[in-house]
Amino acid sequence: MNSYSTEDAIFALATAWAKSAIAVVRVSGNDCIRTLSKAIRSKKDICSLQSNYALYCHLVSPSDGKLIDDIVLTLYRDGHGYTGEEAFEISCHGGLQVVKAVLGAMADLGFRQALPGEFTLRAFLHGKMDLTRAEAVDELVNAQGRTGQLMALNRLNGALYKRISQIKSTIVDIMSTVEVQLDYAEDEVGEDLTFPMAKLQKAISDLSQIHDSYNTGRLYSQGAKIVLAGPSNAGKSSLFNYFLKEERSIVSAQKGTTRDFIEAMCTIDGIPVRLYDTAGFRDASDNEIELEGIRRSKGLVDSADIIIYMVDASDMGDPDSQMTADPRCIKVLNKCDLCDRDDDGFVKLSVATGYGFDVLCSNIAQRLKGNNANYDDASLVIENDRQRENLGRAMDALVAAKLAVEADMPLDLVSMDIQEALEALGEMTGEVTTDDILDRIFGSFCVGK
Amino acid sequence: MDYDVIVIGGGHAGIEACLASARIGFRTLLVTQSIDAIGRLSCNPAVGGLAKGNLVRETDALGGQMGLLIDQSMIQFRILNRRRGPAVQAPRAQADKFSYSRLAKETLEAQDNLELFMDTVVDILTDSAGRKACGVRTQRNITFTSKAVVLTTGTFMNGRIFIGEYDHSAGRLGEEAAIGLGDALREKGFDVGRLKTGTPARVRFSSLDLDKMEKQEGDSEIVPFSFMHEKIERPMVPCYITYTNEKTHQVIRDNMHRSPLYGGKIVGKGPRYCPSIEDKVVRFPDRPRHQIFVEPEGIGTQEMYLNGLSTSLPEDVQHDIIHSIEGLEHAAIMRPAYAVEYDYLNPIQLKPSLETKRLENLFVAGQTNGTSGYEEAACQGLMAGINACQKIKGENPLVLSRTEAYIGVLIDDLVTMGTKEPYRMFTSRAEYRLNLRHDTADERLTRKGYEVGLAKDDRMEALSRKIESIESLQDIIRHRGFGGKNALEALKNPEITMDELSQSIPEINTFPMSTRLQLELRVKYDGYIKRQDREVDRFTKLEGIKIPEDFNYDAVEGISSESREKLKMIRPESIGQASRINGVRVSDITVLLIYLRK
Repeated sequence: MNSYSTEDAIFALATAWAKSAIAVVRVSGNDCIRTLSKAIRSKKDICSLQSNYALYCHLVSPSDGKLIDDIVLTLYRDGHGYTGEEAFEISCHGGLQVVKAVLGAMADLGFRQALPGEFTLRAFLHGKMDLTRAEAVDELVNAQGRTGQLMALNRLNGALYKRISQIKSTIVDIMSTVEVQLDYAEDEVGEDLTFPMAKLQKAISDLSQIHDSYNTGRLYSQGAKIVLAGPSNAGKSSLFNYFLKEERSIVSAQKGTTRDFIEAMCTIDGIPVRLYDTAGFRDASDNEIELEGIRRSKGLVDSADIIIYMVDASDMGDPDSQMTADPRCIKVLNKCDLCDRDDDGFVKLSVATGYGFDVLCSNIAQRLKGNNANYDDASLVIENDRQRENLGRAMDALVAAKLAVEADMPLDLVSMDIQEALEALGEMTGEVTTDDILDRIFGSFCVGK
Repeated sequence: MDYDVIVIGGGHAGIEACLASARIGFRTLLVTQSIDAIGRLSCNPAVGGLAKGNLVRETDALGGQMGLLIDQSMIQFRILNRRRGPAVQAPRAQADKFSYSRLAKETLEAQDNLELFMDTVVDILTDSAGRKACGVRTQRNITFTSKAVVLTTGTFMNGRIFIGEYDHSAGRLGEEAAIGLGDALREKGFDVGRLKTGTPARVRFSSLDLDKMEKQEGDSEIVPFSFMHEKIERPMVPCYITYTNEKTHQVIRDNMHRSPLYGGKIVGKGPRYCPSIEDKVVRFPDRPRHQIFVEPEGIGTQEMYLNGLSTSLPEDVQHDIIHSIEGLEHAAIMRPAYAVEYDYLNPIQLKPSLETKRLENLFVAGQTNGTSGYEEAACQGLMAGINACQKIKGENPLVLSRTEAYIGVLIDDLVTMGTKEPYRMFTSRAEYRLNLRHDTADERLTRKGYEVGLAKDDRMEALSRKIESIESLQDIIRHRGFGGKNALEALKNPEITMDELSQSIPEINTFPMSTRLQLELRVKYDGYIKRQDREVDRFTKLEGIKIPEDFNYDAVEGISSESREKLKMIRPESIGQASRINGVRVSDITVLLIYLRK
């Protein structure tokens, strides 16, 4: 357990530690604005300014009074802002020396360097967000691509929480039907219970839909690994560059030009992709370095989500049968502008002219999305292991309840399963407290959030 | 000191409290308004029922009296909810109310260390600082001093009964209210509120048309409430079932303005779950009928209890209501239905030991704490009696967990959430009820009763005999086959019952039914029981994070002010208890958790 506390004011750099035009330092905690006022030079008294107010002013060193930077100060009073505490943000110039000095001033004022996730933790503790939202903050920061970002944003807006709450209320309905039967004797309420099976089935399928969205969510947040493989000089590096729309890989007519693999990020149909260009496999080489390159390429191929196996249409040779039989493999025939031929199961391509590239891309996208392709409601997509685990637990419990009802098990045992489902969903949204929840969630955050 | 413990009130809570204290070995005085009224079943002539039956058996397992009394006075026995599962079924018995209270009084009279005295307590004596209770003062201005006082006044403290336009100071019809004590407690700073309950009319048996009603017989086999009884034989008398109808409901609607409940005369809140008939008609306007059980009040009496017809409407309206019902057309009313309103102490003023936070050595139990029902009262009386003794001995109070007893659930609910209406025990209030089956109360609790000095050797011996019996039955079955596989394995199959096994393994029948049943449940629901145990572990973790008694909530930043007020008032003993307080936000619990872990 991190030693989180909530009494003192904390600070952190909210933007990346890198040279940039502007950097933002965030501070949150009781009375932090009055403390800051000692280091502010302005015509206005910042202590009397209202919430959500931005002010251009000077930040000076609290120790010697020397000017540090011209800043824009944004103030948040108690109950406003991200954490729900009294807080402010300093937008300063983004030079590393300036940022260093601003952070130093914050420490001099007596603020404490924030721990990872501590700002979000405070927001959670002040009731500003439930757990699914708190987690979305981290996911949003780490999102790799527009779609993943939209999904996380949706969760941050509480869409997931709302959906889970709806499902929970269905389950509570089922539970109360059951509990009435258990609370009163048979001669008081009668034996005429019809178990609300349709409701239960609906809850199960709703949960499983969200549960299954995990793979999609994972795909959009973490991206896929695509490896270009094939005999040397088939044009893998050209395709690599074509994907990136820049000359990253050295291309030459000489075989064995690419010796080590090259990695780059790109997006295919909204999916973040880590693309690897590898050394062509050929046995003929006696070059130690090239052999090592080939060895590494083979390792990459093993862990790929998709292998693009490329051969030269004009010089097909013997395609690697092990490779082409791999279910992850998309077979590509390059240089089709030079030599038109039809080979079953090959995507025809010409990197030189761009012919066939769109077909290849949609082929890749289809493969990656698989059965999860038809996500049309970004709100229902999760990518978080903890959430998936809780959803799975709830689903399993409801399925057990269903089986128990079908097997004509006593109602009190059925109710145990339903209760378990409610607990799991409560844990998911943070309405049920468990003592390890803080570590599990806020421990993985980056500082400043 | 005149006594170690003084118990005020001779109802079901008072009986358990004074017996517990005397049996543990302390000099005890019971002060009651009427020696003749000890152990009266003022309302329903029945003990037990869902969840309540579990409370009775738990009370018995700890060394209490209620189970023994009902076993010797019952005139009908049934296990309720048999088909709904092992965790929620419970025993219920009709009582011969005369035998019941006579036996109660005889038991008290025969008890060493226990004196009975007839008077009305009007004040609690305190030390000069007003911090500790040290005795009582009565109406006749007698004072008794003691080390601890247990308050169990039921419906008598400032009791007032209502029948339509008529109202009168009384604790029960024809019995004087206890005046003065409620105000004395208010003066001492206690939050004393008003609650209301009611009881239906009693009608003459010979005036009933039995042919028009359904007859309801009891079970043929009696499972004794007390673990000290292996088998009991009792006479069995039937009950009768009939229903209200549209005509009944019309009479009620036409006369609603004459009910003190709706006219604003009664301010106390009534029990939501055991409502008066006018309540039911108003709240469920679509129901064409409500069920009425006609129950005998005893052997050798004509009085029959109309279960389900509790009302405070005027007597002429009561006549019309009753006579509109099938089978009751000519019923002669012997006692009218009435409502009673009384003083109660909001139980959030209590510690889990049932000692008041405001006045040390003062314990409160039963209906005075806002509960409803004999069983709820008895088990609290028992715990208050035990804990008064623990306090005198300077030992830790006996506090039962929600995971080990319905009693634990009941008291935790009361002291954590308080109550604004009469609190009735329900199975759904217990989270871990598979562990709280009525037939396992002795395994859960008898040792605890023994350790505080209440349960004696005979109870421990009965418990060991039972455990051995279950083990030896298990041994026999384990070594036999059934349908081509191990018989114990076969029993796990939901389709195969112990009865079926016994046809091919006749030795099974030499064991008592309770043994057979318990082993069967244990084997059959093993998976569920193990799962429940895991949930219990999770629960226990948060209960284990204790909050110091003098914890300063004002020093913790980040708790909402509403939560802070509640926490300061209730002063929960653990994070687990804190999380059950109404209106305390989850995030505030997390703040506490962080603070306590530092």
